[in-house]
Amino acid sequence: MLRFLGRRLVAMVFVLFSISVLSFLIFFATPGVDPASRIAGRNADQATLRAVRKDFGLDRPLPVQYGLMMKKLFITRDLTSFVNRGAKVIPQVTEAAPVTLSLVLGAAVIWVVFSIGMGLVAAVFRGTPVDAAVMIVGLIGISMPVFWLGEVVNLLTQSRFHDTFLFSWVPPLGYTPFTQSPFGWFKSLIFPWLTLSVLYIGIYARVLRSALVDAQEEDYVRTARAKGLTERRVMLRHALRTSLVAFVSLFGLDFGALVGGGALLTEVVFGLHGVGKLTFDSLQNLDLPVILATVMYAAFFIVLANALVDLVYALLDPRVRHA
Amino acid sequence: MSRVGKFAILGALVVLAVSAGTTGAARQDHRGGTLKLLAKAAGGTLDPQVNYTLQYWQLYQAAYDGLLAFTKAGGEAAFTVVPDLAESLPQPTNGGKTWVFKLRKGIKFSNGQPVTVNDVVASLRRIFKVKSPTSGGFYSGIVGAKACLAKPAGCTLKGGVSADAKKNTVTINLVAPDPELKYKLAVPHATILPANSPTSDAGTKPLPGTGAYYFASYNPNKQLVMKRNPYFKQWSKAAQPAGYPDQITQSFGLTVEAQITAIENGQADWTLEAPPADRLNEMGTKYASQTHVETLTAFWYAPMNTNLAPFNNVKARQAVNFAIDRNALVKIFGGPKLAAPSCQVLPPGFPGHVDYCPYTKNPGATWSAPDVAKAKQLVKASGTAGQKVAVVSQDDEVNKAVAVYLQSVLNQIGYKASVKPMSANLFFTYAQNTKNKVQINVQQWYQDYPAASDFLNILFGCDSFHPGSDSSINIAGFCDKKIDAQMKHALRTALEDEPAANKEWAKIDKQVTDAAPMATLFTPKHIDFVSKRVGNFTFSKQFYWLVSQSWVQ
Repeated sequence: MLRFLGRRLVAMVFVLFSISVLSFLIFFATPGVDPASRIAGRNADQATLRAVRKDFGLDRPLPVQYGLMMKKLFITRDLTSFVNRGAKVIPQVTEAAPVTLSLVLGAAVIWVVFSIGMGLVAAVFRGTPVDAAVMIVGLIGISMPVFWLGEVVNLLTQSRFHDTFLFSWVPPLGYTPFTQSPFGWFKSLIFPWLTLSVLYIGIYARVLRSALVDAQEEDYVRTARAKGLTERRVMLRHALRTSLVAFVSLFGLDFGALVGGGALLTEVVFGLHGVGKLTFDSLQNLDLPVILATVMYAAFFIVLANALVDLVYALLDPRVRHA
Repeated sequence: MSRVGKFAILGALVVLAVSAGTTGAARQDHRGGTLKLLAKAAGGTLDPQVNYTLQYWQLYQAAYDGLLAFTKAGGEAAFTVVPDLAESLPQPTNGGKTWVFKLRKGIKFSNGQPVTVNDVVASLRRIFKVKSPTSGGFYSGIVGAKACLAKPAGCTLKGGVSADAKKNTVTINLVAPDPELKYKLAVPHATILPANSPTSDAGTKPLPGTGAYYFASYNPNKQLVMKRNPYFKQWSKAAQPAGYPDQITQSFGLTVEAQITAIENGQADWTLEAPPADRLNEMGTKYASQTHVETLTAFWYAPMNTNLAPFNNVKARQAVNFAIDRNALVKIFGGPKLAAPSCQVLPPGFPGHVDYCPYTKNPGATWSAPDVAKAKQLVKASGTAGQKVAVVSQDDEVNKAVAVYLQSVLNQIGYKASVKPMSANLFFTYAQNTKNKVQINVQQWYQDYPAASDFLNILFGCDSFHPGSDSSINIAGFCDKKIDAQMKHALRTALEDEPAANKEWAKIDKQVTDAAPMATLFTPKHIDFVSKRVGNFTFSKQFYWLVSQSWVQ
């Protein structure tokens, strides 16, 4: 087990290193990307341009620049932004993380509850119009792009029906910290939660339904039925439990990706200052230090989620441990 | 200025003073509250000597002062420079090379420190130490500046700037007379800061200033907060007037759409961003009283690379100018209420501007219609027909639409045109570098200060062309020795006789327009959309909406 963990850890470091090198190289391979003149400002003198280039170490060879940046990011932890100069990168990420966590956790609760409910209903009523209806609803959810859905939600709650009794309680777009006002936190996040979860409810309900349908054909379900258990007990205690294995591994990956910044579009549309929004802004500004920090942060969570999922598999199945 | 003019202004001032007397009490009632501004993203460093964005220059007006300042007033009155921390606007001596400023007494920074002549000297040195973007452009004429540009850290401006604590004066010596120094000392890069300010870009850490407000906090991912400066006492209403709101905030992060909605809902008071085209209708009808449209001293233009085929041929450049239907472009920008067709460099209402348009159906003062037949003829004569041309532009909706329009025009007159849209952040530097071989692109230029040279000399002067550099604002690479000499001459003329200089600039404007290193597209207007509660909206042509002069209650 320890060897397995160690192997995963080495792999994780390697993946993070590769990703950081890759994003660093992609940045400098982009035409016209040289940050020096953007830092120096509009119509800067050639001497000023040279001085800025030297100040920011942009005149040094790329491997040296990479090394210095990684040192500032991980060891001295004082890497600052190219655009909002003086703004340290790491506090920006740690400030943004709670927003993203709040968004993703809430959405995850909603999508897990609803998708299990919908998946169960569809499986129980398999082949009937109820099954078809639930799956069509799920498909509609999957088909709606989150940025479009978010804008429509905003149009209804902030603009068209903002002054009616329906939505007059909806606060302005943005985030309220839980510590400041738990109810305000809830109110500011309820629509982002719902918007983000719609896609996943659809996907997970479909995944769960097909797993449940497969499980119906399994020997242990037949055995359970033969023992004379009620249909409800068979469904919930036996079929659902095993069907959740696929569900859980999928959840691990999606959750990791979202915490890492995958909820970008939802954050942008609802004005939430999360990690996704930070990534989006830094990409728009070509702010290399922030891009590197957010990409590393995202990669860390995705690799971590992967490792956890593998770990769960390893616990379940000894064959994985020895593979 | 003529005598009649002076009396008219005096009369107006009397009327103003009387009306101020009667409404003074009412105006006091408007003091207080928080003015909530919105922007998509932060504007970078908050250091007033480094930041070069309109976003923060607008806010600096209420927070920082230089020796001189642009008048805080509506319209073109804002172009007039008045003494700010200096007691008066001095007449230069020594043939225009020496300026002696006497400092006002009793003014304090927002940290309680009094303003002294040492602070002034240190601040002028600091322009070079922090490598201000304009250190080489605006302030290189100060004696000792060359050394400071080469070695910013040890900058002393020896022989250039000196202080006399007893007389409370600061002397600035120039290498050569500069008629525009008064403007250059009135922009935020020449802000006076405490002498002990850091000698590198202060970044997100606010620096104390002398204005009516100070920056209380700044988080580029969230919000910027300005509060009343407790040490501020109004010394000149024209230079630094007291403001109405107790607090001014600028929040970052909402999309433009969401910002407009928030203002309509009264959740915020103003947006920095240009409203998207699909919201203009509701703003113009349902919220007409909250929408302010102002003409700008700016222009949209398409620089053509004069050193690269096909536009190294003047006929090819003129052909593009003849073929462009400026009305179509005005429509793209939002219609005649938001833009006006133009053919020349200097925008209307700007010093030196005289209506001129050679590139129209009936050449004369103003543009009427495109002359495609003439354009095709010119392309034929130039022998460049059939060549490939790429139009490079920013990838936002309006810029891209303009580029696509230019593409259709180029195709129409016989080129094989394509469009290369790119990220707004890359585009500006990319277009400037000759290494990227940009043939034609879509640009905007907004004035720094009201002088014709800020357009003509900066955008089309030989000194602004630096091949192979990302900072080469003469994007067309246009360098005509004869015109350049005339520009230098006009700069000298301005020292003694501004009206005569402006006449020279008008001639230069014509010559540059004739040589067509660019196709001027249109003069844009500016939309400010404010919430219902915002009162006393005042628009300065120099620094736009005077934020602190509006009230929210």
